[in-house]
Amino acid sequence: MKHLFNLTFIFLSALVLLFIVIPLIGLFTGVGWTGLVEAFLDSEIMLSVWLTMKVSFLGTCLILLTGLPLAYLVARNDFRGKSIIESIIDIPIMIPHTAAGIALLMAFNQGAMAPIFKSLGIQLIDTEAGIMIAMMFLSSPFLINGAKEGFKNVDPKLENVARTLGAGRFSVFFRVVLPNAKKDIINGMLMMWSRGLGEFGAVVIIAYHPMVAPVLIYDRFNNYGLSYSAPVAAVMIAVSLVTFLLVRGLNNRKRI
Amino acid sequence: MLSLRNISLKKGSFTLKQVSFDVKDREYFVILGRTGSGKTLLLETIAGLNKHAGTVSFRKRDITNIPTEKRKIGFVYQDFALFPHLSVIKNIRFSDRYQTQSSNFQWDELIDLLGLENLLHRNIHYLSGGEKQRVALARAIYSRPDILLLDEPLSAIDPSLRNTIMEKLKGLKQRFHITVIHVTHNFREAAYLADNIGIMMDGKLVQQGPVQDVLHHPTNIPIAKFLGFKNILPTFLIDADSKDRYFTVNPSMIHVTDHAIESDYNIRGICRESSEGFNHHELVVIAEGCPIFVKMAKQNYDLTLIHTGAAVHLSFPRSAVTFLQTSENLDETSV
Repeated sequence: MKHLFNLTFIFLSALVLLFIVIPLIGLFTGVGWTGLVEAFLDSEIMLSVWLTMKVSFLGTCLILLTGLPLAYLVARNDFRGKSIIESIIDIPIMIPHTAAGIALLMAFNQGAMAPIFKSLGIQLIDTEAGIMIAMMFLSSPFLINGAKEGFKNVDPKLENVARTLGAGRFSVFFRVVLPNAKKDIINGMLMMWSRGLGEFGAVVIIAYHPMVAPVLIYDRFNNYGLSYSAPVAAVMIAVSLVTFLLVRGLNNRKRI
Repeated sequence: MLSLRNISLKKGSFTLKQVSFDVKDREYFVILGRTGSGKTLLLETIAGLNKHAGTVSFRKRDITNIPTEKRKIGFVYQDFALFPHLSVIKNIRFSDRYQTQSSNFQWDELIDLLGLENLLHRNIHYLSGGEKQRVALARAIYSRPDILLLDEPLSAIDPSLRNTIMEKLKGLKQRFHITVIHVTHNFREAAYLADNIGIMMDGKLVQQGPVQDVLHHPTNIPIAKFLGFKNILPTFLIDADSKDRYFTVNPSMIHVTDHAIESDYNIRGICRESSEGFNHHELVVIAEGCPIFVKMAKQNYDLTLIHTGAAVHLSFPRSAVTFLQTSENLDETSV
């Protein structure tokens, strides 16, 4: 019975893992080494990949600045309306990405917030700022929720003790809370950054140009077909995977 | 002197109700109570970690609204709450950054007293319970507090190490000039360490005073039961006119004879049980339907006269007796 149970679960687990891995293997084998090397030497592709990674990283940093305090407040306090705040944080995960792009345009490009953006010299249409805002909007829940779990895992008694030792609230946050939630925060950043790399729906509404990698893949597929877009997809996946595995590996290594 | 006046608050399922007490400078004050009686909540409140009604003052200065980090109060939690990302020495010296004046603190003495010399560069994840406890103590003392709050500091310690740590705790107030408030559920700890003691039940401080007074003279039935008193007896046994009142009598101070002798109190009864302890004998004597527990030194026990079924006289002095209040707010059945 135990044997049957193990076999069934291993078989079903293998199915879902293969479902994830096979398309990636198919892509790389389809493109081949030559196609991959050529794609790495294609300046349009590399500029697009670099732009995607850079803008997603900057967006992640900006959300880090505001998302950490929010995550901490939600993790540490019980208050009326907390579930509403948590639902607001999760909204970007639930709504269609193209709809989010439209909403962002209406709010920040022509809505009540538009004058503020204009006064700050921030133009959304076809700019890096527009791409970043789309990425930030749709990927922020990954960082905020990751950090929230990290903060929840820090024993409040550590903060209490630090305060009795003379540390003020800011000092406690930076010297005790952050170091102990660091792993979850970095994982949350990584998830947000990775999710930002793949953002297409909202970005294409706000900024078709300059082309981030997902838009370039779509553009080449639409205009030139599968064989011309596949190398871009392969480069993007290769670069993202290497970065992702490297950061996660470093972050999750055992503390000595 | 630290003075708490009418401290009340509710946090989760814990409640403090009108707690008031004073602790003199360099006094070792122990709060004794069961788990869940609000002891930790009270310590956190003294440290300024909870909003509450009532006032806290220290050396005649109201510190009710002073933030925790300005109170100069050290705290050692039951599970020690060492910072997991810091080594032993960095844990101990965490407060370096917040010391406003340089001081020739007795670092060597502290490390020597607590036996930490070989642990300083260790990772805290690889320390035993006793080692963690000493690190937590050193960290709190190193911050140079006026008051040290200890929350069940010995509960996670191997029993073989407890006596050693208790000796170190007892010496703290003199060596480092601090006032200690220690909460525990352990009577032995309380009796050994305390100058004064408070009994906490259901969020209230129900009795306080010098340790021997409190431990030997409970004021009411719930406290007597909590302190493990076996002889909680109706007063009509010693005063025929008295009704609805109770007293306790120290089992070791009861003299058992087969005839009446002169004493403050005498009770007649029948010996129902007799058993032998390490250096004493234990009897249960039934008097007017009430079982009375007696603990006798072996040399005073005459087996030929006092045996199961024998009629005996129990005699004891006034000093062996404590009269108990019965009209308490505490729910007697809850203890």
